[in-house]
Amino acid sequence: MTLSMTLTPEAGPRPPDELLAFIFACLAERGLSSDGLRPPDATHPLFVERDVLAARARQQNCSLRQVMDDCLSRHIWPERFRRNYGLFSVKAMRRLLGARVLLAGCGGLGGHLAGLLARLGIGAFVLCDPDSFTESNLNRQAFCTERTLGLPKAEVAAQAVRDMAGHAEVVPHTLAVTADNLPALLDGVDVALDCLDSVADKTLLENACLRAGVPFVHGGVLRHEGMVFRNVPGPAGLPASAPDAQPDAGLRRLYPQGQSQAELDAARGAGVSVLSVAGIACLMAGQCLRILLGEAAPGLGRLYHLDSGLPELESFAW
Amino acid sequence: MRILVKLSTTLRDCVPGYDAEAGLSLDMPEGTSVRELARHIHVPPEEIKIVMINGRQSEGSDTLRDGDRVALFPAVGGG
Repeated sequence: MTLSMTLTPEAGPRPPDELLAFIFACLAERGLSSDGLRPPDATHPLFVERDVLAARARQQNCSLRQVMDDCLSRHIWPERFRRNYGLFSVKAMRRLLGARVLLAGCGGLGGHLAGLLARLGIGAFVLCDPDSFTESNLNRQAFCTERTLGLPKAEVAAQAVRDMAGHAEVVPHTLAVTADNLPALLDGVDVALDCLDSVADKTLLENACLRAGVPFVHGGVLRHEGMVFRNVPGPAGLPASAPDAQPDAGLRRLYPQGQSQAELDAARGAGVSVLSVAGIACLMAGQCLRILLGEAAPGLGRLYHLDSGLPELESFAW
Repeated sequence: MRILVKLSTTLRDCVPGYDAEAGLSLDMPEGTSVRELARHIHVPPEEIKIVMINGRQSEGSDTLRDGDRVALFPAVGGG
């Protein structure tokens, strides 16, 4: 058949029909006919399965993620994103695939978020958690199973993301976030997600994000409830010398007195429902998407409160 | 004046029989502050970290008005 199509602006130097010819040859090798297939366009995309994309990556000696991006630019969608089609434009899907997120904490919120973001199509993950799974995590943490008890949360989450999305770049760190390591952890990150379990650590992360100019999404849970807000620094970020008590830091506004050790100990032993954890993770993922897709204005967004027990979702102004 | 109070998570333990869906509807004297309201319903003010009046962040010292909706939260800081 004759293959012809218009080059999209992002298509790059290679003639587009060469990619299609490769894909159709792969289909033929599998005994599938490409007769009737037309060059894809925005309203008639072509969906291609991952083994074909993997073959293309081997042929081109590049990463699977690069091939997926190249294909998307020509309206050739990875089959894994077939049901993302209609939710996201090609431009948005490519943005997600090219995005890198930091999950600070890989337990409750972090575990659920890792899965959600991997399935949405986020392409790169930095996963941080100093802990290993214990039996009391089984009630709410996505990747805590009887098989993973005792294993490091960051490593388990990394393997789970790889199992869901083999194209994703995943870097696990079995360590706690600190003022010293955060600048390096945030390097190249598009959004940082606060899945930590103390107000002090959350505040540390938000302040580091403000200094580095990295958008921040807060999540916190207790019992059946939780809270979410986003904080998107201005384009230039804040100078590195800025003091910790940023006037535009959401956590300082929410918790000006911080959290005492007794309060923290009580919170770490308190009941937390998987419903609130999963619900807040969904709201955080939604905020992350808005940021990545350029739909979030700079500054503090609204504060959302979810009561998964009723259920009830409220939003508050600062 | 009539005030609607919504309590979050552990603060609900301070009010036996609290109905999370309906909240607490209270008649309070004019000029009552959030902190005074909290003491009235036996919620220790030091356990309240976040105060929202009619959907806007407020302070414990803020004075309430007839018809206000007050939401009180402890630290919701788990991960």
